[in-house]
Amino acid sequence: MATEAKRNKIGWYFLIPITVLLAVFLLYPILYSIYLTFTSKRGLLVSFVGFANYTKLFKDPMFIKALGNTLKILLIQVPIMLILALVFAALLNSKHIKFKGFFRTCLFLPSVTSLIAYIILFKMLFDYNGMINDLLLSLGLVQDRIPWGQSPGPATFVLIIAMIWRWTGYNMIFYLSAMQNISGNLYEAAEIDGCSPTRSFFSITLPLLKPMILFTTVMSTIGTLQLFDEPMNLSAGGTTAALMGPDNCYLTLSVYIYNLCFHSVPKFGYAATVSYAILIIVAILTFLQFRFTEGEDKKLERKARRMK
Amino acid sequence: MKKALLILLVVMCLVAPIFAEGQTEKASTAGMAKEVNVWCWDPNFNIPVMEEAASRYEAMHPDVTVIVTEMAKADVEQKIQTILASGTKTGLPDICLVEDYNVQKYVTYYPGQFTDLSMSFNYDNFADYKESIGIVDGKHYTVPFDSGVTGFFYRKDMMAKAGYSAADLENITWDKFCDIAADYKAKTGHYMFAGDALDGGFFRVMLQSSGRWYFDKNGDPDILNNEALKEAIKIYKRMVEEDLRMPTSGWTPWVRAINEGDVATITSGIWIMGSIRAASDQSGLWDVAPTPRLSFMGSKNASNLGGSSWMVLENGPAKVTAIDFLKETFGKDVDFYQKILVGQGAMGSYIPSLTGASYTANNAFFNNKPIFKTMAAWSTQVPMVNVGLFTYDADTAVMANMQDYYDGKITIDEALKKIDAQLRNVML
Repeated sequence: MATEAKRNKIGWYFLIPITVLLAVFLLYPILYSIYLTFTSKRGLLVSFVGFANYTKLFKDPMFIKALGNTLKILLIQVPIMLILALVFAALLNSKHIKFKGFFRTCLFLPSVTSLIAYIILFKMLFDYNGMINDLLLSLGLVQDRIPWGQSPGPATFVLIIAMIWRWTGYNMIFYLSAMQNISGNLYEAAEIDGCSPTRSFFSITLPLLKPMILFTTVMSTIGTLQLFDEPMNLSAGGTTAALMGPDNCYLTLSVYIYNLCFHSVPKFGYAATVSYAILIIVAILTFLQFRFTEGEDKKLERKARRMK
Repeated sequence: MKKALLILLVVMCLVAPIFAEGQTEKASTAGMAKEVNVWCWDPNFNIPVMEEAASRYEAMHPDVTVIVTEMAKADVEQKIQTILASGTKTGLPDICLVEDYNVQKYVTYYPGQFTDLSMSFNYDNFADYKESIGIVDGKHYTVPFDSGVTGFFYRKDMMAKAGYSAADLENITWDKFCDIAADYKAKTGHYMFAGDALDGGFFRVMLQSSGRWYFDKNGDPDILNNEALKEAIKIYKRMVEEDLRMPTSGWTPWVRAINEGDVATITSGIWIMGSIRAASDQSGLWDVAPTPRLSFMGSKNASNLGGSSWMVLENGPAKVTAIDFLKETFGKDVDFYQKILVGQGAMGSYIPSLTGASYTANNAFFNNKPIFKTMAAWSTQVPMVNVGLFTYDADTAVMANMQDYYDGKITIDEALKKIDAQLRNVML
C-alpha cells in the first residue's frame, strides 16, 4: 500500500512539468482572452466594457460579411473536396488500376507544398495576364481575358479551386488508409452475391468509412473556419489594401481578427471576442456533425429516453 | 543513480539554451548602448537610405554600430505592436519606420512607448503637412522622412498619339482626367492608366488635395457632408462604369503595366519614380504634370500619397544614441539628402535640403526637366489634413460599401450614411 502511494506520488511529480507548461501556455492565454472579451483593450489602453463587445458583433457589418464569406467557402469547398477525395481514394483502392504509387504520390504531393508558395502560384496562374487566361484565349473558350481578381465571384472561385487542389490529397490519404482496413472478404462475399462495384461502394465502403468521414468533415470545418493564409495572400495588397479581395470576398473571420489587431486601430479586446465567436460556431457545427452522423442505435436510444 | 543522472542531463540540455540566450542578450545591451537597432522595410528604398545614414554616422562616431534590419512592412507593424502590447520592455529596436497614417494611433494607443522628440529637432525645417502628422497633444513624435508628393506621370509619345500635349494635361480636374482617359481609350484601344479597384489610395489623394479627410479637426467622422468625399466616390464609380482602368491586382502587375507600355500614365507618389525608371529604354519619353484636383472649391493640384517617418522607442536600449543618430543625419545632413535623392529617388521633407544641385539638375529620363525641383515645389503646396487614428478603418468602411454603389443598389447619400454608420461602430 505504502509503495503504491509512493509510486503514485512519483507519477504526479512527472506530470508537474507538462502541467506547468500547459497552465502557462494554454490555460492562462485562454482565461486571459476570455477576460479580454470584456474589455475594450486597444493597444495599452484597457477599460472594462462588460458585454459591449458581444453586442457590437451583431451590429458590425464587417463581422457579418466575414462570417458570410467563411460559411460560403465552407459550404462550397468542403463537400466538393471531400467527395473528390473519396472518389480518388476509391479509384486508388481498386484492384484494376496500375501505377497506383505514382498516382497516389501525385495526388498527395500538393499537401506538402508550403501554404504561401502554392497560393502565390495560383495567384500568378489566375493573373489578368497569367497562364489560365492565355490558355482559355488560345483554346477560344473566352473572347476577352477574365479579370479574376476584380469581382467577388471569380475571385472566390480561384480561392476554392486552390484550396481543393491543396487539400484533396490530404483527405484522400485518410480515406485510403481506412479503405485498406476494410476486409476484402466483405467485397468478395458481395461479389458472389452478385453485387455491382458501385453497390458495394455505397453499401460496404461508405458505411464503414463513416467514422473517417466524420473526422475529416470536422477537421475540414475547423480548418476552413480558421482559414487565413490563403485569403490573406490572395488579396492583392495584403495589409495595405482597403479591401480584402473584391467586395471583401477574401475577408474571412481569421483575416478579420488579424486586421482588427494590426491593420486598424489595435482592438485586441474586440478581436478576442471575434475569436470566441469562431469557437462557438466550431462547437455548434461539430456538435451538429456528430449528431448527423451518429449510428442508428444511438438515435433509437435517445428516442427511447425521450419516450420515458 | 544512473537514471537520476540521465534525467539531470536531459533537463540541463533543455534548460541550458534558455539561460544561454538570456546571457548573450545581456552582453550585447551591456556594451554601453552603442548599438543602434533600426527596423524598416523595402530593400529598394528605405533600407539603402538607412544604410547610407548609418555609414555616415558610423564614420563620425566609430564607437557606434547601426544595425538595419529588413522586414516586410506588415511584419514591422505586427512585431512592434505585439511587443508593446505584451508590456515587455525587451526585444524592441531603437528606431522604427512607421507609415504616416499609423503614427497618431501608435502614439495614442501605446502611450509612453514612443519618445517625445520636440526638444531634439527644429521642426520649422520640415514640410508642414509632414510635420503635423507626428504631433499628438502638442508634442512631436516623428522625424519626418520621405515625401509622398504626387504627380501625374505620363508617356509623352503615347499621349501625343491620342492628340494630347503637355498643356492639355496641366492642372486638370479628375473629371477632365476621366474624359481624357475615355477619349484615349476610344482613340487607341488601350487603357490610359492601370490600377487596383480595391485600393483606396486615390481617395486619400483626392481628399488631401482638397484639404479634407475622413475626419474633422476634432477627429470626428466627416462623412455625411463631405463634398470632397462625395465627388471622389462619384469619380471612382465613373472609372468602374466606363471601364477606364486596366485591372491589375497588387504592386507587380501595376508596375509592369507601365514598364511594358500597356498604359500611358500613372498617378502616384514620387516614390513610384524608381519603378518608372526601371524601364531604361523609355528614357526621355516620360514627363510629369500636376496631380488632378477635384472641382470642389479650394482643391489644389497638389497632394500626397503614403510616405513614412522615423520614430524612436522609449524603451529601446540605445535611445539617446538613436536620437543623436537621427539628428546628425535626417535632422541636418543636406549632403545626405542629395545622395539618397539621386540614389533612391527618395525626396525627404527636410526643407533646407530641397535646394541643392541634385534638385535643380535636369533629369534626362523625364523629358530633360528638373523634375525634383518641380515636385519639391508641389510638396510645399500640399494641404494639411488631420489624419487621425482611424484612417485605415475609414478606408475600409468606404471601400466596403462601394460595390453596392457601383451596382446601383444604393444612392450616394445612402452609401455615405452606411459608411458613416460603419465607421462610428468601429470607433466605439
